[in-house]
Amino acid sequence: MSKIKNLGGLVTPSRRDVLKYGGAAALSMPFVSRAWAQTVEVNMLAWYGHGEPDIVGEFEAANNVKFKPKYYAGGDNMLGLIAQSPPGTYDIILSDAEFVQQLNAAGYIEELNAADYNFDDMLYDDFKKFPGHWDGDKLHSVMVRCGHLGVSYNKNAITAEEATSYKCFWKPEVKGKVGHFDWHLPSLGMMSLYNGNGAGLWDLDDAKWDAVKKATMSLRSQVGGFFDYGGTFNSLKNGEMQAMCGIGDWITGVLEKDGAPVASVVPKEGGIQWTESYCIGKGSQKADMVKKFIQYMLTPEGQVKSAEMKAYPGFAITKGGRAKLIEVDKKEAERTGQIDGMTNDPITLIKEGRIHYRGIPKQQSLEDWNDFWSEYKNA
Amino acid sequence: MQQRVLTWFLRAYIGVIFLFVFTPIAFSVVFSFNSQRFPTIPLGEFSTQWYDTILADHDVWQAALTSIVVAVSASAIATLLGFCTAYSDYRYSFRFKGAYLALILLPPTIPLIIMALAMLAWFSKIGASGQVWSIIIAHSVLTAPFAMAIIRLRLNQMDENLEAAAWNLGASEWSAMRHVVVPFCKPAIVSAACLCAAVSFDEFAIAWFVSGLNKTVPVFILEIVTGNIDPRVNAIGTFVFMTSMALVVAAQIFFSTKQLRKPAGEAG
Amino acid sequence: MTQPARKRFDAYAMTWRLPIIIWQLLFFVGPLLFMVAMSFFVVKNYRMVEAFEFTNWVKMLGRGYFWDSYFLTLWLATLATVCAMVIAFPAAYALAFKVPDSVRRWAIFLLIIPFFTSYLVRIFSWYVILAETGVVNSILSYVGLGPYTMLNTKFGTIIGYLTLTLPLVVILQTFAMANIDTRLVEAAHNLGCKPFATVYRVVIPLAKTGLIIAALFCFILSFGDFVSPYYLGGSKPPTLPILIIDTTKSGQQWPRAAVVAIMMMITLFAVAFAAISAAYAKRGKS
Repeated sequence: MSKIKNLGGLVTPSRRDVLKYGGAAALSMPFVSRAWAQTVEVNMLAWYGHGEPDIVGEFEAANNVKFKPKYYAGGDNMLGLIAQSPPGTYDIILSDAEFVQQLNAAGYIEELNAADYNFDDMLYDDFKKFPGHWDGDKLHSVMVRCGHLGVSYNKNAITAEEATSYKCFWKPEVKGKVGHFDWHLPSLGMMSLYNGNGAGLWDLDDAKWDAVKKATMSLRSQVGGFFDYGGTFNSLKNGEMQAMCGIGDWITGVLEKDGAPVASVVPKEGGIQWTESYCIGKGSQKADMVKKFIQYMLTPEGQVKSAEMKAYPGFAITKGGRAKLIEVDKKEAERTGQIDGMTNDPITLIKEGRIHYRGIPKQQSLEDWNDFWSEYKNA
Repeated sequence: MQQRVLTWFLRAYIGVIFLFVFTPIAFSVVFSFNSQRFPTIPLGEFSTQWYDTILADHDVWQAALTSIVVAVSASAIATLLGFCTAYSDYRYSFRFKGAYLALILLPPTIPLIIMALAMLAWFSKIGASGQVWSIIIAHSVLTAPFAMAIIRLRLNQMDENLEAAAWNLGASEWSAMRHVVVPFCKPAIVSAACLCAAVSFDEFAIAWFVSGLNKTVPVFILEIVTGNIDPRVNAIGTFVFMTSMALVVAAQIFFSTKQLRKPAGEAG
Repeated sequence: MTQPARKRFDAYAMTWRLPIIIWQLLFFVGPLLFMVAMSFFVVKNYRMVEAFEFTNWVKMLGRGYFWDSYFLTLWLATLATVCAMVIAFPAAYALAFKVPDSVRRWAIFLLIIPFFTSYLVRIFSWYVILAETGVVNSILSYVGLGPYTMLNTKFGTIIGYLTLTLPLVVILQTFAMANIDTRLVEAAHNLGCKPFATVYRVVIPLAKTGLIIAALFCFILSFGDFVSPYYLGGSKPPTLPILIIDTTKSGQQWPRAAVVAIMMMITLFAVAFAAISAAYAKRGKS
C-alpha cells in the first residue's frame, strides 16, 4: 500500500477515508433524526407562507404535527407539480378557488364531509356554497380566506382620486413605470373590467376578447416589466415601478407595513377576488389530521392568523374571525376595512357588485390567454 | 516607459474586473446583516435577525442536510465515472473514441433549463421523480465532465513508463492500477470530488424541477425569492458561499501540496 | 512500451470503459431522447398523453412571438459574448504575461469563488446597485448626472449575463494565453513587431483554440440563462428560456416547452460545431 508522505508535518489520513466515512455518517443522519421524531408529517402544497410558523406553529405544537410545505406560484404551477408527483404525495392542498374544479376533474382531491365544517359562521352567503367548491351536494374544498385585487399604486405618483379607475395605468407620467404581475389571469381580467364587461369579465365572445386584447396592447408602451413575487416586491419598494397591474393588498399590504408609500384600492370598474381553499389530497394517509387543521383555520384564532399572515394578508371570512380580529388587531382591521359599516368593507363591496370572483376564461382556453400573454410580453 | 505605464494600467484593470465580480457578493453579505427587509440605500441598522431566523428554521437545516447528502453522493459517482473515462481516454484508443468522449463531455453544453426539463419528464416516466436520488443522478451527469477533465489533466503528467515498469516487475493490470495509477491521481481525484460537490451544492435549476418535496438549499432560496423575498436569502447565500469556499480551499490545498512533489510520482 | 498480452475480451479495459457509457445512456441520452419524443405528445385535460402529432411544432413555430424571442435570445447572447470577451481580454492578458506566477494562481483562485456563491442571490444584489434610487445613480447624482434607468432593460440583462460568465471567460482566456510559447512572442518583438500588433498578429492566433472555447462557453451560458433576463431585464422582452418556463406554467404544456428546448439545442449544437471546427482548424498558409 502506498505510504502517504506528510508535507511540512501535516498529518494527513487518507482523504478517501475521510470522504467515505463522512459520507456514510451524513447518509445515516436522516434515519437518526426520523427515529427521534414521532410526529405526524403532513405534506402541504400551497402558495408561499401557508406552512410557516406564524400560521401552523401553534397547531403543530398542540397536535404533534410537522407540516412539510412545497410552495408554488400560480394555479398552473400547482397543477403541474401534482401531475409530476406520485399520487398521495400531498396531504393538504391549498388551491385558488377557480382551480378546484380542475383538481377534481383530474382526480387529485378527496371528497369532504360538509358537516365537519362550520359554514354557518361565514360572513357572506356565497362563501357557504362557493362556486366551484361543490359538486351538487358534494363538497370538495373549504374556503378559508380571500382578498381583493385592483389598482396598486405608489401614492407619490398617483393620487387616490386617480386610482379609482384603471385608467390611471395609462397616465403619461408613469410611462415605463407600470409593472405586471407575471400571470395572465388577473391582469387580463382587469383589462376586461376596464372595458366594462363587469360580471361577464371571464365570459368573452370573440369580439369582446379582441377588445380586451386591444386594450391590453395599448398599455404595452407604459409597461416597465413583468415580475414574479420577488421582483414585484422589490420594484414597488424601491420605486422602479409606480403602478402594478394584477395584484392587490396582498402585496401592497406587506409593503405598507414596511413603510412604503403604496396602497391598493378597488376601482369603480370593479375588482377581482382571489379565494383560497383547502382540499385533501387524493390518497392521503393523514386525512383526519388535515380535517382537523382545516377546522382550526376556520376558528376565530385560525382566521386571525390567516388575516395577519406574514407572507401576505387576507380577509377573515367568518363572523367569529372578524370579531376576534377587531379585538386583537384593530389597526389592521381598520386598514383593510374589515369593520361593519366602513365604506371599504369588503363584504359591502361584494354586495354592491363591485367585486367579481376570479375565474377561468369560459370561451377561450387557458392556453389561449397564455399565448396572448407571451405575445404581449414580446411586443 | 510606455511599457511600465501599460503594465500598471493592466494591473489596475484587473482590479476593476475583480470589483465588478465581487461587488454583488459584498453587497449580499452586507444586506444579510442589515435590519431592513427590503434593502435600500441608506442602510438600516446592523442586525443578525436573518441569521437567527434561518438558523432556527428546521426546514433550512433539512434542506442543508439534503444538499450535503446530494453533493457528497453525486460527487462520489461523478468522480468515479470521471476517473474511468479519463483512464480509458489516456490508455486506450479505440473506434468511436470521439463519440465516447462526446458522451461524457456534452452535458455542460446543454443549458441547465433544458436538462432540467428533460430529466423531470424522464424521471416522471420511469417513476423516479421527486426522490433524493433523482437529484443525485442528475447532478452526477452534470458534474462528471469536470471530474474527467481534472483527472485527465493529471494523467497527462504521469510518466507513461510507470505502468509499464510495474507490469514488467510482475504486477497485473489491476495491481498496477491499485498501486501506481490511483495513488498518483489522488490529488486530482480529491480535487475533482471537491469541485463536483461544490457545483452540486449550488445548483438550483435542475434541483428545482426534479426534487419534489426534497429541497436542497438552492431550491429553498429559489422558493423564497419567488414567494416571499427577504434578506434570509442573503444570509443563506453567505452560508452557501462559506461552505463552498471551504470545499474549494480544501481542493486547492490538496492539488498544490502534492504538486510540490516530483511530477514523476512515486510507486508503492 | 510493453503491454500485457492482448486478450480477445479485455475485461480490464471494459471495466473502465463501460460504466460511463451505461450511465450516460440511461440518464443523459435517455432524458434528451424522451424530450424529443415528448414534443410530439398532446395535452388533454392538463395531463400529457403519449401520441405522435405535429401540432406542437406547428403551433410553436408558427407563432410570431417564438421567432421574436428566438432572434432576441440569439442577439443578446452574441452581444454578451462579445462584451465578455472584449472586457476580459486585457485582464487575462495581464494575468498571463504581466504578473508573477503566484499572483496569477491567487487571481484564478479568487475568480473561482463566484461560481460557488448563489447566482440568484448575486443577481438580487444588483437591484440595489442599479435601481434608480440605487448606489450607482446616487454616486452619479453627486456629479450631476442621471438618474439612469438600468433595471428592466436589455442593459440589465447584459450585466446579469456578465455576472454569470465573466469569471469563467477570464479564467479560460488566461489559460489559453498562458500556455502559448512565449519564445514566439519574443521572436516577434525581436523582428520589430510593435506591442499592440504583436497582440493582434501573434498572441491571439496562437491562443486561438482556447479563446474560441471561452467564447463558446460564454455563449452557451448566456443563451440558456433565464435568471438574468427575468430579474434584471424585466422579462421585457422574454428570451427563450423564459418562454420554456412560461409554457410549462400554462396548462401543463410540456410538449410545447420541449419544442422550444429542442430548437435551442439545435442552435447550440450548430454554434458549438462551428466553433470547434474553427478552433481546431489548421491554419492555411502561415
